[in-house]
Amino acid sequence: MASLARPFTLRQTCLSISRSSLPRTTAPGISQIVAFHASTKKNILPPLPQTIQGTVNDAAPVPKPHPSEGSYHWTFERLISAGLVPLTIAPFAGGSLNPVLDAVLCSLLIVHSHIGFQASITDYFPLRRVPKTRKFLTWVLRGATLGTAVGLYEFETNDIGLTGAIKRVWEA
Amino acid sequence: MAALRSTSRLVASSKPLFRPAVFARTYATVDPVAQVSTPANAANTKVIPESKTSNVQEPKPSENPKFKTFQIYRWNPDKPEEKPKMQSYQLDLNKTGPMVLDALIRIKNELDPTLTFRRSCREGICGSCAMNIDGVNTLACLCRISTEHAKELRIYPLPHTYVVKDLVPDLTHFYKQYKSIKPYLQRDTKSADGLENRQSPEDRQKLDGLYECILCACCSTSCPSYWWNSEEYLGPAILLQSYRWLIDSRDERTAERKQALDNSMSVYRCHTILNCSRTCPKGLNPGRAIAEIKKMLASH
Amino acid sequence: MISQKVAQQSLRRLAVQQPYAVRWSLMNSMTPAAVATGRTTMQMRQVTSKASDPTKLLAQQRLHRPVSPHLTIYRPQVTWILSALHRNTGLILSGPLYLFSIAYLAAPALGWHLESASLAAAFATLPLVAKILLKATVALPFTFHTLNGVRHLVWDLGRGITNKQVIKSGWAVVGLSVVSALYLAFI
Repeated sequence: MASLARPFTLRQTCLSISRSSLPRTTAPGISQIVAFHASTKKNILPPLPQTIQGTVNDAAPVPKPHPSEGSYHWTFERLISAGLVPLTIAPFAGGSLNPVLDAVLCSLLIVHSHIGFQASITDYFPLRRVPKTRKFLTWVLRGATLGTAVGLYEFETNDIGLTGAIKRVWEA
Repeated sequence: MAALRSTSRLVASSKPLFRPAVFARTYATVDPVAQVSTPANAANTKVIPESKTSNVQEPKPSENPKFKTFQIYRWNPDKPEEKPKMQSYQLDLNKTGPMVLDALIRIKNELDPTLTFRRSCREGICGSCAMNIDGVNTLACLCRISTEHAKELRIYPLPHTYVVKDLVPDLTHFYKQYKSIKPYLQRDTKSADGLENRQSPEDRQKLDGLYECILCACCSTSCPSYWWNSEEYLGPAILLQSYRWLIDSRDERTAERKQALDNSMSVYRCHTILNCSRTCPKGLNPGRAIAEIKKMLASH
Repeated sequence: MISQKVAQQSLRRLAVQQPYAVRWSLMNSMTPAAVATGRTTMQMRQVTSKASDPTKLLAQQRLHRPVSPHLTIYRPQVTWILSALHRNTGLILSGPLYLFSIAYLAAPALGWHLESASLAAAFATLPLVAKILLKATVALPFTFHTLNGVRHLVWDLGRGITNKQVIKSGWAVVGLSVVSALYLAFI
């Protein structure tokens, strides 16, 4: 659903760029402008032309069972989310969390965010349609999550912790 | 007149007999050679708005006509290079039946015979006339025409489907997915009396709210997850059917059925958006069925 | 009328059993001129051998089919609008968390000061209206995502999943999250 916003904003920025700077270029640039305009008209992630695998009487292929991406993943995700509920409410009751609980909150947040980003990538970048983009984004996400984990660890050990920091800024 | 018709039919039926070998009947009327080189119409979901198309009016309205405008999605496979467009039709509600299907049939009979849509039972049991009416998927035969005649009524084919013509979507893949869940009783053992597979009233009751599904595809095509991933995600309608076989006390392949669903795409693209339950014209609850499937899969 | 039907039926039966015989008999009954000028084949079109396979022709036609409109024409309803907001607020919350953490990791190398003390000091210099607005823009996604997340967890237990309950709880979450976000913005 996040793709709701993307086409509009992208198109808008592309259009504004083309309006402001490109039209006043000289003759050799014209072909570039045309190409640019053509690209803005394209939909983001358009559906492919229709193809049907096999005959109409064949069943759609059944994927191999993969519980770690299926039921285990789902259960794990729900447990993480459910665990986050008390941890987000506790700071409001107690001011801020103690370092251990704060670290737990941070690690759960990272896992929760990672799963959320991953779900968005799976939804909007199907392997069938854009295999390279999908792979690229998956690796970008893994790198970013790792970076975030290390960064938050540094923040937790060197600073006053996430909840403490938010409280400090909020009350500033 | 009748005689004339039957003789002409006789001639018509004789036509194939005279066909030389080089002539073959095509399945549809598209000349396949002309448009081979320009596919990828699919990327183009934009529709020419009704303001840029004509308005077809009722030929002989009644004395105090109650006009209502119907805006209908049109696309003709004979002219694939043309964009889909919205066509306006104005009908006198005094002469039209209460349901949207009545209006469509009147348009086809009296205003524009080229308008194409599926219909059969006109009482909500066949699921043929599923379409998007005023932004919501429903069956045209069960959907009343709103009596506010100042407001126009917009009709689209089921969302994010490949359009065969006008309001007719191609549901081939939907049916193939239905086939993939093996929608039939699978048993290895014989029943006690060797005659019937009996079921207690309680077990039978579990199938209520599931067996009524008519596979009209309203729910699946209302689901954004199904829009983006219809190739692999099964969609609410098929999952409701899947659940119907999973909880059937007479079925003996529950474990296999569960395994077939246990992957990232088949079930778990469902993010409980619940457009499916909201839109079901039969008042069923595919959203709950999927939640139950997830619970079943979680408790191995 | 009836006799004609009978004749037609028998002709059809004959056509099924002995197609050549019918062809012959009809050929004879037709005027030779009509056959010669090709009037009987007027309605047929010539198809090249390449596309004569009907399955290929169908595949060819499928490639030209447009996709019917979806997101732009579907009626806005609490169900899918809130779901879209849930994902977007999640991205709005997690994105900055990722950016901040990675920036914090890189801060020593780049000479930035992202310690909580300096951030709080920077925030304190803002005018009151900006403070409240900033707090509200952070608080609203947070309260909404949290409350709606609880709603999702309840659904995953198989409860509260009828149309009526979904609509009611949806609007309740919208109301509660706005109120609690406003409260958070003003403390």
